[in-house]
Amino acid sequence: MTIPLYLAVAQWVLLLALGLLVIIMYRQLGRVFDKTKEAAALGPEVGKKAAEFGYERISDDTRHYVTPGDGQPSLVAFVDPTCPACEQLVDNLGIAMEAGDLAGFRVLLLTSDPPSYLQISDTFRTTRLEIGKVTTHGVREAYNALATPLLVAIDGDGKVRAAGSVRQLKEVRGFGQACLLPLPDTTLAVLPSEPNREEMAEVAARPPASNEER
Amino acid sequence: MDVLVLAAKSALAVMLLAAGGAKLADLDAFAGTVRLFIPRRIPSQIREDMAVGVALAELLIGALSLAIPTIRWLNPVVFALGCIFVAVSGIGYAFHRGRSCRCFGGLSRRKFDVPGIIRSVAIAALAAVAMLNVRPLAIHIDTAARILLLAAAALLAAASFTAAKALAVSRDAQPRLAPQ
Repeated sequence: MTIPLYLAVAQWVLLLALGLLVIIMYRQLGRVFDKTKEAAALGPEVGKKAAEFGYERISDDTRHYVTPGDGQPSLVAFVDPTCPACEQLVDNLGIAMEAGDLAGFRVLLLTSDPPSYLQISDTFRTTRLEIGKVTTHGVREAYNALATPLLVAIDGDGKVRAAGSVRQLKEVRGFGQACLLPLPDTTLAVLPSEPNREEMAEVAARPPASNEER
Repeated sequence: MDVLVLAAKSALAVMLLAAGGAKLADLDAFAGTVRLFIPRRIPSQIREDMAVGVALAELLIGALSLAIPTIRWLNPVVFALGCIFVAVSGIGYAFHRGRSCRCFGGLSRRKFDVPGIIRSVAIAALAAVAMLNVRPLAIHIDTAARILLLAAAALLAAASFTAAKALAVSRDAQPRLAPQ
């Protein structure tokens, strides 16, 4: 029995095409791993004092200065309106705020893009979260914010409690919880999967503890 | 010579299947490309329908061309498609230079540029080669082989769809470098 020529040729072409798809996928997978490695290195060191910074609030053009350690826990997100992952983070920060998961927190979105860029993104245009343009020189370096999105959780004592390129709601809640729980001996390696809201509310209601007490 | 003609024919069919599957994975983005070539007053729903139509047409022509090589009228249809690709590349280069053509959905970020026109011309040339006559015995395949080729076409389209979807998601999820 002889195979028709067309069948012999077509199966080789199909094999090559499928092989090409596999190569494309593996190449992209490699790039994703590289990016993940870069993202893991983002953010300030956990446990260290967070840097002070000034920003200009986009909504009313007023200037403000944030001094971590004033007793109020903060979630500072370095975001850009042209990055889809940043939009996801902003959406989920808004959801967590509205759900009361971040009650008592200062939640601040920091961008280095011009305010006009915010109009490009529906998410940034409509969010109720405070958006600021960094005015202090060297903030991105101090927070090691070399890529966006970067979320940094700072506790009431001004210490960095968690930092990373996150965007999921579960991760945002975990970052909020990390600010309120006692400072661990080691850096935050694994975020709690589901925060305990009662525990968070209870800890948030307590007055800020001094370093001596800890 | 038959081998060249049949390789061109099957390569074009495979290309159409991969392109159709990848376009279906990111229809919104491809609808954005369609928008570049039609008047703005046309409603977005029609643009999206046109994007779906183009993707499905590519899948259908690719699957039929691969599985039933004896349908001779498909060869000029594929050649006409190649000519349309050349025209689209030329118009895209003239009016939307540097914009992504989304010809392969998320699989590729090729733009409207000179290499793009050359690629389109190469596809049209390949389609012209595929129109040449071959010995009837070379393309005579039985029903079982046709069914197997159709299954392979479906597999390729599905693989292309999945790959394009995964690439689009991973690109969106990657952190963007902040301006220094």
